[in-house]
Amino acid sequence: MKKRVVAAAAASVFLFSLTGCGSAASTDTTAGAVTPASSGEVSWWGWTPDTPVAEKYIAAFNKEYPNIKVTYKNYENVDYRNAITPALESGTGPDVYDISPAGGSPDTWGGFALDPSTLAQQTLGADWKDKFGTGYLQQLTNSDGQLTALPLGGMTAGFLWYNADIFTAAGADLPTDYNSWVAACKKIQAAGKICFTMGAGGEDTFPTEFFHSIANSVDPAWFLKAATGDAKWNDPQGIEVLNIIKKMKDDGIISKNVLDAGQYPLANEEFMRGKAAMVQMGYWYAQYSGLESAKTAMESAGVSNPTPFVQLPLDFPDVAAKGNGSQVFGEADYGLAINKDSKNVGAAQTFVAWMTMSKNGQQMVANAIDLIPGLKGVEPDWTSIKLVDPTRQQPAIATLLQKSASTTQTRQWQTTETTLKAIVVAVQQVLDPTVHTSIEDIAQALQDSSEASTVGK
Amino acid sequence: METRPRGGRKSRLRPGGLAWLAPGFVLSVGLIYYCIFYSGFLSFFSWRGGTSKMTFVGWDNYAKAFDSPVFWSAIWHTIVFFVVVFAVQVVGGVAFATAMHSGLKFATLYKVIVFVPVVIAPAIMAPAHIQVWSSDGTANAILDLLGLGGLAQGWIGQSSTSLMVVTLVQCWGAVGFGFLLYFAAMSQIEQEMLEAARLDGAGNLRILWSIILPNVKATTVSLAILNFITALKLFDNPWLLTQGGPAHSSEFLGTMIYSEVSGQSRSLGYASALSMILLVIAVVVSVLMNTTGRDRPARMKARRLAPAETGAQDV
Repeated sequence: MKKRVVAAAAASVFLFSLTGCGSAASTDTTAGAVTPASSGEVSWWGWTPDTPVAEKYIAAFNKEYPNIKVTYKNYENVDYRNAITPALESGTGPDVYDISPAGGSPDTWGGFALDPSTLAQQTLGADWKDKFGTGYLQQLTNSDGQLTALPLGGMTAGFLWYNADIFTAAGADLPTDYNSWVAACKKIQAAGKICFTMGAGGEDTFPTEFFHSIANSVDPAWFLKAATGDAKWNDPQGIEVLNIIKKMKDDGIISKNVLDAGQYPLANEEFMRGKAAMVQMGYWYAQYSGLESAKTAMESAGVSNPTPFVQLPLDFPDVAAKGNGSQVFGEADYGLAINKDSKNVGAAQTFVAWMTMSKNGQQMVANAIDLIPGLKGVEPDWTSIKLVDPTRQQPAIATLLQKSASTTQTRQWQTTETTLKAIVVAVQQVLDPTVHTSIEDIAQALQDSSEASTVGK
Repeated sequence: METRPRGGRKSRLRPGGLAWLAPGFVLSVGLIYYCIFYSGFLSFFSWRGGTSKMTFVGWDNYAKAFDSPVFWSAIWHTIVFFVVVFAVQVVGGVAFATAMHSGLKFATLYKVIVFVPVVIAPAIMAPAHIQVWSSDGTANAILDLLGLGGLAQGWIGQSSTSLMVVTLVQCWGAVGFGFLLYFAAMSQIEQEMLEAARLDGAGNLRILWSIILPNVKATTVSLAILNFITALKLFDNPWLLTQGGPAHSSEFLGTMIYSEVSGQSRSLGYASALSMILLVIAVVVSVLMNTTGRDRPARMKARRLAPAETGAQDV
């Protein structure tokens, strides 16, 4: 008898374990007819924005909706992914949460969200889909076809930022192709500065953006073809990209310490300390063109009493010399999802609608100049933004914003994480002076360890 | 010798004993064994967590691990790491412990200095170690000062040396821990035995080899098991220093598992399969080490006396 009781208890524990893992929210994702409320409490979790930025958003929101109290909780990227799942599964999750298009996140966490289509239609009208950035809604839609979140903003990469003060002091010209890049580096290094700082160590997927930029110079269509299985990573284009990277190291464009650490902190700190003339970063770096943001970033990098330098965006040089120029790539950075288990759906809808679809909310996003507004037609209000050198920085960032808003090439959405990691390993092998594997073999290994994406096909 | 009936004693103690055991048992089953069973269950699925589709894949995750060159290089790194750290820990620990037992002046100060690395969290020391081993770091600066600038290199950022850096950093703390255990173990050795050896004309090395080391063998076995388990689940130092790179050159099972769980794609099934493999290796190796590490005479004696001892314990 006792044995049977023990066996039953053990079976219960086991069954409990089985049922626990399979639990998933129901597939009922209709938003219903909940009317946006003008009072209530909303909890919002995200890995971005940083808390001070979120607090600015919330303060602006509260000017229009003083009776809705929004509490933001910021997590580090990995912590966010580990915290949000049990919270949503147990029904104790936040009312509003961030969803990224990357890594299949709309499938992973989108099932816990209300479909905001009705809300968007009510707010923006019948043509609501056309009012968001190109591709943003598709990127935040899960494989069941449910829109999981509304985009707060987009992000682009595929260009450089340069320290104009260093270029002036060194008497160097801005690089437009491979040879002019080498020439600029010689002058900059002679002036005692690092030419192009880059951190490709660790697991950070940043080197994939560098690889992607060079690939665009070789053949603008090839990277996404390879990412989605329509081309191979060891095609001639892939070999050429890896050879260019190797040459950049040999010719001194890429620093010897490139594998010491990741892009953060290595490259960010060298650039922000004014030690390096160029760095590859995405649109988010535009925020450091602002006077106060620049000072804060320099202080964070270890500079005391900083005097901000003039940083400007620069097209990625046409390193393959095929006349393909430079192409920006990007996608929705993240969207705001409404938890369907929320007890404050009305207030949550009001907040999400204001952040993602109101002129004022999106203006806040635009003015922070770290995201491309999710809603088309919203531009930074330059009169309210204090730049280090408005005459040079404002037109440069405006042009970058225009390019970013019109890009059709995605950044990571159509590239699996397995492939991103394989690209990182390939780039590291090319840059590692103690690896003597041929470029062809590295490209073959990249192809073998990649996994084609079916997203967006 | 009077013995009590075993059955009678058990029946009197069982209810109270169970009551005392229950909280620990529930906690243990609820938290630890549940996680192990759950990981075992997950290892047969492809799943990203949340509401993503959970697909049964059978043994595919295990096959993927055994087919992966990264997995085998992680196993190799684990073995290299274990052998080097264990060797350094034993040699360094015994050396420091014997030195401290030999009436050294300022012994307390030296004990603190040797033991401090054990209590400093890897996360606190990682930035300093990175600085030491970077391309423009302290190690290369020292080489320059010594006129050996030609040997300067990016220690932490190249495949040929990244594992060495991770291993050396671990040795830094491991010696202190080895010292602590050996120092305590040597305190248990009877002075009469050492004095007798001296009277018989044994020198320091002979005493160390023939008296001290055999008497601290249990400590050595314990260190071997602890080191192996540490190597198997190693995560903090390699992750903080190199994140397993470059190009997986300092990858360990722990960093592999974390990488699979923490990535955007969250391959929870594959990470669980890796965890189960790690668990099996840890249990098997620990049992083997524990069994083979015991003194043969002691084991034989234990076998011979086992029934009698069992009976005696019931008295």
